[in-house]
Amino acid sequence: MKAVMITYNQTLNDKIEFILDRLDIRGFTRWNEIDGRGSETGNPRMGTHTWPERNDATLVVIPDDKVDALLGCIRAVDELNTGVGIRAFVWNVERSY
Amino acid sequence: MSIYKRAVERPITTAMVFTGIIVMGIYSIIYIPIALFPDMEPPSVTVMTVYSGAGASDIEKNVTRPMEDALNTVENLKEISSVSSDNLSVINLEFEWGINLDEATNEIRDVLDLVRNGLPEDVERPTIFKFNTSMIPILFYAVTADESYAGLDRILEDQIINPLNRIEGIGSVSLIGTPERRIYVEVDPVRLAAWNLTIEQIGNAIRAENMNLPAGNLKMGMMDYQLRVEGEFAESRELGELVVSQFGGKSVLLRDVAQVRDSLKDMSIIERINGRKGMRMFVMKQSGANTVRIAQDVKDAISELKADLPPDVEIREILDTSVFINQSVNNLSQTMLWAILFVIIVVRFFLGKWRATFIVMIAIPISLIVAFIYLFLIGGTLNVISLSAMAIALGMVVDDAIVVLENISRHVERGTSAREASIYATNEVWLAVIVTTMVIVAVFFPLTLLGGMTGVLFTQLGWIVTITVVTSTTVAITLTPMMSSKLFTARREKTRRLSGINNFIETLHTRMADAYETSMRNALLNRKKVLAASLLVFVASLLLLNFVSTEFMPEADESQIRITAELTTGLRVEEADKVARRMESIVRERYPEIEIMAISSGSDDAGGMLSMFMQTGSNIVNQMMRLVPVTERERSVWDIMSDMRAQLDGIPEIVSYSVSSGGGEGMSRNTVDVEIYGYDFDVTSRFAADMEARIASIDGAEDVQVSRKEDRPELQITLDRKKLAENGLNTAMVSNAVRNRVAGLTTSVLREEGYEYDIVVRYDERFRNSISDLEDIALVNAAGRLVPLSEIGTVDEYWNPPSIERKRRERVVTVSAVPAGISLGDLAGSIRSIIDETDLPAGVTVNVGGAYEDMADSFTDLGLLLLLSLILVFLVMASQFESFVMPFVIMFSIPFAFTGVILALFLTGTTLSVIAGLGAVLLIGIVVKNGIVLIDYINLMRDRGQTLDEAIIAACRSRLRPVLMTAMTTILAMLPLALSGGEGAETWRPMGVALVGGLLFSTAVTLILIPVVYALFSRRGERDKLQKLREKFTFLDEQQECGEAS
Repeated sequence: MKAVMITYNQTLNDKIEFILDRLDIRGFTRWNEIDGRGSETGNPRMGTHTWPERNDATLVVIPDDKVDALLGCIRAVDELNTGVGIRAFVWNVERSY
Repeated sequence: MSIYKRAVERPITTAMVFTGIIVMGIYSIIYIPIALFPDMEPPSVTVMTVYSGAGASDIEKNVTRPMEDALNTVENLKEISSVSSDNLSVINLEFEWGINLDEATNEIRDVLDLVRNGLPEDVERPTIFKFNTSMIPILFYAVTADESYAGLDRILEDQIINPLNRIEGIGSVSLIGTPERRIYVEVDPVRLAAWNLTIEQIGNAIRAENMNLPAGNLKMGMMDYQLRVEGEFAESRELGELVVSQFGGKSVLLRDVAQVRDSLKDMSIIERINGRKGMRMFVMKQSGANTVRIAQDVKDAISELKADLPPDVEIREILDTSVFINQSVNNLSQTMLWAILFVIIVVRFFLGKWRATFIVMIAIPISLIVAFIYLFLIGGTLNVISLSAMAIALGMVVDDAIVVLENISRHVERGTSAREASIYATNEVWLAVIVTTMVIVAVFFPLTLLGGMTGVLFTQLGWIVTITVVTSTTVAITLTPMMSSKLFTARREKTRRLSGINNFIETLHTRMADAYETSMRNALLNRKKVLAASLLVFVASLLLLNFVSTEFMPEADESQIRITAELTTGLRVEEADKVARRMESIVRERYPEIEIMAISSGSDDAGGMLSMFMQTGSNIVNQMMRLVPVTERERSVWDIMSDMRAQLDGIPEIVSYSVSSGGGEGMSRNTVDVEIYGYDFDVTSRFAADMEARIASIDGAEDVQVSRKEDRPELQITLDRKKLAENGLNTAMVSNAVRNRVAGLTTSVLREEGYEYDIVVRYDERFRNSISDLEDIALVNAAGRLVPLSEIGTVDEYWNPPSIERKRRERVVTVSAVPAGISLGDLAGSIRSIIDETDLPAGVTVNVGGAYEDMADSFTDLGLLLLLSLILVFLVMASQFESFVMPFVIMFSIPFAFTGVILALFLTGTTLSVIAGLGAVLLIGIVVKNGIVLIDYINLMRDRGQTLDEAIIAACRSRLRPVLMTAMTTILAMLPLALSGGEGAETWRPMGVALVGGLLFSTAVTLILIPVVYALFSRRGERDKLQKLREKFTFLDEQQECGEAS
């Protein structure tokens, strides 16, 4: 089991939902309207006058074999336009209830 | 959930809401009446009182003054003025704006009931009219007839006037120059004396014979009979056979002593329509009623009623003031369509996509339609002001939609799906959009708070612009995202293929941006020089203001001319008519532009309605002309008028004249009035004459007129009281006797077919046309002996003013002048300095009023409005930028908007009127909006970490397009207004000129000067902020493990 945290420009929300459905990932946790900033290139998403855009974050816990597919999909979304901004981070899930 | 998200997620609901608005709007448009201006007539009521036989000064003393004193207590009364002339007292009551005229009328009626007891006995019941007599009738008709001529007044009264009077909003319908049937019994005094009779005895005899009397009832057998004594004359011929007396056992018949004439009333007016004899019918509307609607109702009614008239009666329209109104409004509506077209082209040009253009354009009809709904709900009219307001709003309503749409399309071009882009892109800008709208509202909303005349004019404008821009913002954050989500398709690549025109636009834009960037860099290097040069330009433009003349309201070419010419006082009407005919032939020869003309000389019936509206008298010639439409002639009304003045100067019989154009719809002419208050006629008249001469010597003062007419010769009978007493007579008896012999004694009426015709007994004209005839008038003394008038008194000739004008319950003489070639303000200035130089006679006070007074009031109002707008705009901007400095930086562009206005007015030779001034005030909002767009982005760039100069350059480059676009939409929306010609264009052209000039200039200034000023003001701002932040966290520097500050 891996946890994948996807943070992305909120305008990509519809695409994320579609990807999750496509990969048959049912469970997820989402934070709406959150702030963030890319480590290298990504512009800040602060919801302020200066940086008006916002991010959403979706956390999914999925079997190991689905991780590649998910990251592949996310890369595809990012490659549509790198300026919009989407990143995914994967870590291990020790236990679950 | 936010409104835009809801709108995008429920597209059908959104579409339905706006469709509903459109449907309501269309319904409203159908029912909104048309007018020239918003209802700007001060509510006024006229009280007319007839006191037959009384002279002007008697009327003033016995009727006007007591009534004025009583009426002065009526609530909400603004001003009271009156004219007392022979037989007639006319009191005009002007009320404060917005009062209920019906309530006021009731109160007036109560007051009049109270005061009636104090008035002389013979005074007729005062009549109340809900209009101001200075208003021009809305419709004039020429009526001609052949066989039916003699009975025309009855026919018209019954079949036309009565039905017309039932139309709602009609003030009155009156006839000028109608023949009226009357039976004259013209007595020969010599024969009368021979039979030992008096005129009163004749009168009594007629009265005693001409009657029907019920005499009870009689029961006979089974029946009950009514008993009647019938003595009424069936026709006028019977009168002659009447036995008036017995003399020496012989019956004296009426025809033995008098001639019975069944004829038309003596005419003292000669009316001609296009050279033919005829009569005029005119329609007055009530104060505040809608001209166009009433004119239409009347026309409909007349065309229906015409069918029932005898075939020889012809009714033709001479003048219809509603035509000009309709044409003006149509003209302006067409101008608006051009404006819409221009705006569409600009938007298409800048956006480069038809689909986007369509989405933005939707904002225009919806916003305008809401304005129509507003007009419908408040019962307003479609007029020059409300349409101008829509034209002003037109350029602004697309702005918000453009901002939202641009952001959405930026997201879509990044590959975001249309729906998400619509929601989130709107979310990013909706607050900014609302703030810019608030700036516009801050400028326009204060207009709704204006009072007085300017208030009435501009309240609608304020509301309409406020409502339309607020609507457009609502559209921008609901309908625009909704439609974008449906009409936009996500693009895969960032670059889009450019077609020919778009390619051209892009290249042009890049070149412009490059040029702008270069000049901006130069400007930033020479900040102080740029600032100094700009200030120089501004000061220079203020100096230029001295060459721009001022007036109150631009006068429009209404294709109407009216001439009132005064001939030698006391001239007979027949002589006046000769002059009238000469005037007629001059007009026909020299002015082919004249379509129809009506000319009348002399006055109608004493105390008739006409004398309320026009200056009348046997020596007055009134001429009314209608010209062909503006577009069909080369000479303007003013050209023709000045030529007419030159022609009238060449007619020696004309003592004075006034030539005026139109002036309908309650608008006063552009005059400067010097009101001279004082009781003594001689002193005030002399002073007025003196003023007249001095004002006439001013260059550019035309049509100088004194309102008090020259004294008229009158005959006065002065009685010797001692001799009166000896003969057992008194003044009342003598004056009655003289009146019966000269004016005539109305003894009875002849009834025929339900109509009544007066029977008037008087001396035959041969016996009452010289002073000696008057002196020969025989009166019966107490002893029953005949005494000639010369024995108990003398007949003297003396001079008396024909009418007495009063204002604020004081006698007043007005000297008025019209500016020609100079401005109203300048003329008023010169006149004022003349007054200052003159020593006022004792008991005389002087006030300078007229249109000039209104102008001064309005400019003060506009000044206050400007101040209020500036404060409100500052408030909005200070809160938006959370800064006291930024609003000042932006407001730097405002003076240059005025520079632009002054330049535009100067170059086009337009005068500074209230309309142009208003244009200047409105500029504040539009100009400031551009500044905000620019400054906001510079701030943004600096917040994003760029250096000052780089931020400025980057912002300027990026904002060039939106700034140009907002400016261009507004400029091009105003351009058709500024360039328009045709009916009524004079009224709105100044606003167009002012706005276009101001915007062109201020946009240029905004683009260069504002960034420079920004640079000057905030050189250290950002660096300081960072420094302060560091100081706050110095404790971190003390900690070794925390690392070094970058």
